[in-house]
Amino acid sequence: MEPLGIILSSAVVGLFLAAALAAVDRRLAYGTATAAAGLFALAAAGTLATGTVHGLVWSGPLGDPEGLALDGLSAVFALGASLVWIATSIYSVGYDRGPSGLLAGCFALTLAAIALLVASTSFLLFVIGWEVMTLASYGMILQAHGRADRIYHAAFVFLAFGEGSTLLVIVAVAALRVGTGTFLFAALPAGSALALVAFLAGLVGFGLKMGVAPFHMSEWLPIAHSSAPSNASAVLSATLTLAGVYGLFRLLSLLPGPPVWWGGLVLGIGAVSALLGALFATVSEHAKGLPAYSTIENNGLILVALGVALVARADGLVYLAGFALFAALYQALVHAIAKTGLFLTAGIVERGAGSLDLNAVAGGGKGGEASGGTGGILAALSLAAAPPLAGFVSEWMILEALFQSYRFAPTAAQFVGLLAGAAVALAAGLIVVAMVKFVGFGFLWRPGSARRGSGDARLGLPVAGLGGLLLALGIGAPWLLRALAPGVSVFLGRPIAAPIGAVAGLGIPMGWTILSGSPLFGVLSPTVVPIAMALGASVAVGYWALGRRGASRRVEPWMAGSPPARPGETYTSFGFSTGIRLMMGSTLRTREVRARTGAVVEAQVATPVAYNVDLEVLDVFKVVYDTLVDVVAATALALQRGLMPGRLGRYIAYLLIVTLFVVVAVAAAS
Amino acid sequence: MTRPVWREASPGPTGEWPEERAPAYAAPDGAFVLWNDLREGVSVLVRGPVGPERAAVVAPWTRTAPGPHPLATTDAIDGYGVFTFPYGPVSMGVPDAGRFDLRTYGERILEATPVGGFKSRRVLSSIVGQRPEDAALRIERIAGPFSAAHATAFLAAVESARGQPVPISELRVRAVAQELQRLHNHARQIARVAEAASQNVGHAQMAALAEEMLRLSARLFGHRGLFGALLPGGPPRRLDPADRKEAGERLRRFARAFDELWTLFLGSRTFLDRIQTTGTVRRADAVRYGAVGPTLRAAGVPWDDRLRVPTPPYDDLFLSLPQETEGDGLARLLVRAGEVHSSLLLLEQLFDRWDQWRAEEVAPAPAVADGRGLARTEAPSGDLVYDVRLDGGRLGAVGLRSPSHANWPLLALGLHNAVFTDFHFAFETFGFSFAETDG
Repeated sequence: MEPLGIILSSAVVGLFLAAALAAVDRRLAYGTATAAAGLFALAAAGTLATGTVHGLVWSGPLGDPEGLALDGLSAVFALGASLVWIATSIYSVGYDRGPSGLLAGCFALTLAAIALLVASTSFLLFVIGWEVMTLASYGMILQAHGRADRIYHAAFVFLAFGEGSTLLVIVAVAALRVGTGTFLFAALPAGSALALVAFLAGLVGFGLKMGVAPFHMSEWLPIAHSSAPSNASAVLSATLTLAGVYGLFRLLSLLPGPPVWWGGLVLGIGAVSALLGALFATVSEHAKGLPAYSTIENNGLILVALGVALVARADGLVYLAGFALFAALYQALVHAIAKTGLFLTAGIVERGAGSLDLNAVAGGGKGGEASGGTGGILAALSLAAAPPLAGFVSEWMILEALFQSYRFAPTAAQFVGLLAGAAVALAAGLIVVAMVKFVGFGFLWRPGSARRGSGDARLGLPVAGLGGLLLALGIGAPWLLRALAPGVSVFLGRPIAAPIGAVAGLGIPMGWTILSGSPLFGVLSPTVVPIAMALGASVAVGYWALGRRGASRRVEPWMAGSPPARPGETYTSFGFSTGIRLMMGSTLRTREVRARTGAVVEAQVATPVAYNVDLEVLDVFKVVYDTLVDVVAATALALQRGLMPGRLGRYIAYLLIVTLFVVVAVAAAS
Repeated sequence: MTRPVWREASPGPTGEWPEERAPAYAAPDGAFVLWNDLREGVSVLVRGPVGPERAAVVAPWTRTAPGPHPLATTDAIDGYGVFTFPYGPVSMGVPDAGRFDLRTYGERILEATPVGGFKSRRVLSSIVGQRPEDAALRIERIAGPFSAAHATAFLAAVESARGQPVPISELRVRAVAQELQRLHNHARQIARVAEAASQNVGHAQMAALAEEMLRLSARLFGHRGLFGALLPGGPPRRLDPADRKEAGERLRRFARAFDELWTLFLGSRTFLDRIQTTGTVRRADAVRYGAVGPTLRAAGVPWDDRLRVPTPPYDDLFLSLPQETEGDGLARLLVRAGEVHSSLLLLEQLFDRWDQWRAEEVAPAPAVADGRGLARTEAPSGDLVYDVRLDGGRLGAVGLRSPSHANWPLLALGLHNAVFTDFHFAFETFGFSFAETDG
């Protein structure tokens, strides 16, 4: 076995070992997980640099050889996941103060399962990893603090969607097995009915894990509703959904030659998810619900890029297909990093302020921890697509890919691309509001009365590291894209070069510029952008340093002659986004609920009355699912009463009917 | 002898306040209550202490506590994310110092509480013990834009307390001054709304028309704000035939320009959109809380002191009564525009018949009690009440209920569920003055 293979194998084994060590000591488990994640990152980086890496191999129970390996595609996801795990594991050492090692064990087991499914060489191992991941995450959610009924409800929702996802993934895998005769990753041409079954089951099954519309309940509810531990939230929202993205990419890479409508469907789901995710993120008041909704938006963006790639491939637009895939992989990578940073920041906020309600937090979360705050701001800015951070580059690439939907041959595909472009642009605008709200009310803005929490460098430094990584990945985007080329090549089944080049006359060094189309369409040099920004800023900094230093004066903010703001006289986080609530009232089903709370003396003319006013928004899909749960529960109860009333005669009749059916079926078959 | 401006009635059963009765004034010492019977169109005075059922309405009128205090009783609103947005006391476009505590969950005003008392000059308490002629100098400075109305009502109350007859010529002069000031106020309020709607040309032209009325006031009475004009020993009045002729011509030019401009405003969607359904006052609320002036008439109640409780010379003049039913900002401005026409007609009648009146003395309205006079006048923003008690020729106590006092609760109600950007449009159509309520 080659050295990288040994590293890969020991990384996966090390993560399982970490889960076992949790029974001994919590910190030992997190430490082992950190080291194993580091090895995993090393193996992934090595794979991207040198090519496919093979680890352990053994003969499987169903005839196919089973084993661990990373190819170009899985290495991209392995790299993103492992970078996030390193930061989260270090963070967890300081964060996890629970009474037992249960959280640490479930945490490490989730990581191990994801590593297993990403590094598996067959779908059999993949499904096993998938199911272990679901169950271990379920265990993590149960470790949440808060009201027991809410936690159980959230965990139930997670498990219901998770098992539904597993079932559909099994259906997709079974269809592939029937079509290709093996569990190994073998291609099944897209023309057949089996391929269609695999595609649809896979899209829904993996989409459930990604939390895309209309399954977004599976994403936000377990995180927000139960206030899952922050390290668990980061793993759930950043890497669990990343596993879903990987599964979808792997599946679609094995279904070559898909019809155009597959891409259109993926594109449409992605656009709707992006818009809904951004909208609900904007009106969310929960320091973890907001990032969870933002994950839905980002997974939607990944689907949009994937959809463009599928349509472009079907149309023979190779450059555009490749560019869109680069965008999708890059987006998956940087979103995982940024979202982890945001959730870890939410954990610091909770520590500092004792609440996750952004209205109550009001800046209490900064906690004197400058490193965590800076990292959190960088992560939020990246998600808001601010240059020169990585999120800016990925959003630019996705929009550029969408703008080129005019190149599609079918008019319907052009039209879908057009609508998706509008939806993505709207989502991009809304998410800026959401991120400003998270950063502003989470930890930047602090009214005079808010208390500061105590800082903890173990919590702050990993977040700062993630923030720095986002900055580096943004500025170094052209080089990172080159590293992603093996992944795109695996997906398209042919060698694809990164969309990097130079434009004559711009004076930018060769290889610093991303070219979005061939023939030339859009150009961006993420490396030159920060240089230009620094030059611009240097003018202001120079002016300040040379000229007016020390001439500033601190005063109380002008409150139109009123005394300085008292408690209850400052804008709330809720008020900040009420404009969106009212503007998008038809989508959010906004309604005002007014309840009289004070007594009234009818005899008086102008008697003050006390009211409680709530402006509620409603997710219609939640109503649908709640109804579904009620119907299923009621049906189960009815069936239980009707079929199993404890009467022997009915059971005997049932046995007879089944036996008869089997006999007839066997006779007919033979 | 002019007829009394009220009809006396005995206190009815306490408790239920009858419908179609609008509270008009409650004496601070609890001696009597004045209300308007809207069905019969008469004013009714009830002697005796104010019952507890009226206390809530009366409270803001009699408050004399120094320092900031709420000007209207409003509901207490709480809820998730609800907070108070303090706006003022230095607030853009509002000429006086006053704050508005806006309860909101963002974007929408759930409850608005006007807070006054920031610049109280304590005019009413400072004039106690003074001679009424001296006190009038301070009274007319309570609210500059309404100086003529305050001077008129105060002087009438003093004359009523004294039983002192007044020459009809003097009453005519007061009417001229009041109508001129009404023209200025209505043009100015419309100009302010246009300013808030960023209609710069329309605002400038309407503001120029308002300015023209100030200049005409200066031409006829020697002072732009009419300070001192109605008091004994004030600046010389120039109301000779030549002056009246010139004034008539200037008023006709004003009328033509105003009509032209107002027609343009009514054709502008950007103007109408901002005031239509903005700051709506329902008729029932207007009656219950005792709204006055254009606010009341825009809500569908045909009450104007110049018609319902007329004093000379109004009892001898033709007066049209503009009235709307919608109760919103547009309705209030339509009423104001209609009143511009009726004021112009009144001035024309006054000037035309200037020399036909016989030089006679008019007996004052009967005193409400011995040495106590009560007088009402229709100020530009509505009914204004002065209640003056004399002790040995000097002022004993002075009660005031200004149009702003009466209309504050209606502003609070009208702002329910308004968006922040509606605020100025709602506010400017009422025609408030914090100075009036600060005293």
